[in-house]
Amino acid sequence: MRLYLVLTVASLKMYFRNRQAIFWALFFPMLIMLIFGLLNFDRFSPPDVGFVDNARNEASTTFRNAVDDGEDPLLDLKVDDDEEFLREELRKGDVDALIIIPEGFGDTGARSTMQVVFDSRKPQEQGITETVIRDVLDSLFLDLANVPDEFRVESRFDVGVSFIEGQGEGFRGFLVPGIAAMAIMQAGIFGVVFSLIRFKTGGVLRRLQATPIGPSHFLVGQMATRLIVTLLQTYVLLLVGMLALRVTIGDGTILNWIDLSIMAIFGGALFTILGLAISGWAKTEDVAAPVANIVTLPMMFLSGIFFPLEVFPDWLSNISQFFPLTYLADGFREITVDGASIGTLGPELLGLGVWTVIAFAIATRVFRWE
Amino acid sequence: MTETSLSNAARGMAGEPIISVEGLTKRYGDLTAVDDVSFTVQRGEVFGMLGPNGAGKTTTIEILEGMRDADSGKAFVGGIDVQRDPKKVKSIIGVQLQSSAFFDYLSVSETIKLYGELYGEKVDVDAILEQVELTDRSKAYFKQLSGGQKQRMSIAVALVNRPQVLFLDEPTTALDPQARRHMWELIQRIQSTGTTIMLTTHYMEEAEELCDRVAIMDRGRIVQMDTPDALIEDLLATGFKAVREVKPATLEDVFINLTGRSLRED
Repeated sequence: MRLYLVLTVASLKMYFRNRQAIFWALFFPMLIMLIFGLLNFDRFSPPDVGFVDNARNEASTTFRNAVDDGEDPLLDLKVDDDEEFLREELRKGDVDALIIIPEGFGDTGARSTMQVVFDSRKPQEQGITETVIRDVLDSLFLDLANVPDEFRVESRFDVGVSFIEGQGEGFRGFLVPGIAAMAIMQAGIFGVVFSLIRFKTGGVLRRLQATPIGPSHFLVGQMATRLIVTLLQTYVLLLVGMLALRVTIGDGTILNWIDLSIMAIFGGALFTILGLAISGWAKTEDVAAPVANIVTLPMMFLSGIFFPLEVFPDWLSNISQFFPLTYLADGFREITVDGASIGTLGPELLGLGVWTVIAFAIATRVFRWE
Repeated sequence: MTETSLSNAARGMAGEPIISVEGLTKRYGDLTAVDDVSFTVQRGEVFGMLGPNGAGKTTTIEILEGMRDADSGKAFVGGIDVQRDPKKVKSIIGVQLQSSAFFDYLSVSETIKLYGELYGEKVDVDAILEQVELTDRSKAYFKQLSGGQKQRMSIAVALVNRPQVLFLDEPTTALDPQARRHMWELIQRIQSTGTTIMLTTHYMEEAEELCDRVAIMDRGRIVQMDTPDALIEDLLATGFKAVREVKPATLEDVFINLTGRSLRED
């Protein structure tokens, strides 16, 4: 036991002294996360806005046609009579704002207050929606009646703004857990492959073979180190996501973090063993590097890290849904986005478990010490 | 010598062999790397294995270190059957491999300590560093050491379990003359503490300087085995004459005389 502890401590020391490894495990995924997170792909499409029309008169129809002409809409309207349903959609993040048209909207002699509810987490969408509404109301008013300036929008139409805090975080909420999963894969496979290949070709493992303990004990230390690194890495990346990209982690309870840790350990174990298999099989770095890339690159792009699986053709997503990284990213996402508990993540854990068994079988079969 | 008398002899008693090898054979496919090799090494001796590349020196030494299986034959180290209990042999020997490397992000003293743990030994790191003259490099990483320092560190690591036998596989290959002489002194110091040493080398002057007895190997067989002096006498007795006239100094003496004995390690 003491020996494992000593070997783990030594492995940890070596790991954290190797700046390159830390760069790839931590700063590289962090950089990708921030770049893509700040790009905010949501902005490239018009805001989705729920629309409840209680007036159903000429003014409301004109307004509706003005903002959403179907072809190239200013706002993407989701029309429904059920206000409560749309409020729930707003809370879940499926729409970005909600417009409620009052009865008798635009009737002469009355002041119509259009209620608009925004998601306080989406200031960008709020800005666009507000500008569109004011512009359209302005021109709508001019169309309706030729009246002096003092009766312009402010006096005839009023916009009542309120906020609720939605849970949806759009692309950022999708991206952050995905990157955390990807980082576990990268650190597991590349971290293990390159250090172990170096130890193997340099004769470090062979020298360990000359001791009564033998090198297999050393692998236990390596494994423990990787799992510790996996956890640290996951915490740091998710924290950066919380602070820099304002992503929430589930319901924000400690349970979510515990569940994430369990998921991370499953993923970390799988990808470390996969790394061991590759480095145990490959004789040199020249062989190991392309193999490691062949394993990781398709997963990076096809496992729903940057884009959801739905954007791929069916035949492709039917395959990639079984990738190890897909299970890990999905599991993370279920916890961070939907606040799911680990108990409901059976399929993801099973998927990771099956892959771990496969990787372990390969590793024990192909591993060579020299 | 029968098997029982061998192991009895190996079990101790000064003057009895600490290494006994009989009929050792190792084949790689068609190649017989070690071919029916037998020899013994006495406690406290420095025993050298000489021979050209591919003669089977390293394979022989690695079988004795418990790192390779033999196809046939017997090998005992410290009275332990190497093939039956390689772990036990590993715990009483120290090993310097031909090209051993250590973890690149552990310091010299951390590595020595870690290796001590692998033998379950609490190591006096400072004493070992002093013995191999690496005290001032204790905080350096392995990759920052010079060639001679790497070899000395490798010996330091081999000493952590206070071994009965120290195996050195080409300890001075690729070292400059100063570092080589330095290494010779270190090996002689270790021998003076009572440790048996078995080494391989390509350098005849090294064998002459260090070894009490040498075995000359060629194509997997031991072709001659005796003290260096006796081997030379035997050759002269056949009427052999060196082609060149032997001068009382060598070119290496000139080199050392001009560049000094002190180590160059930056």
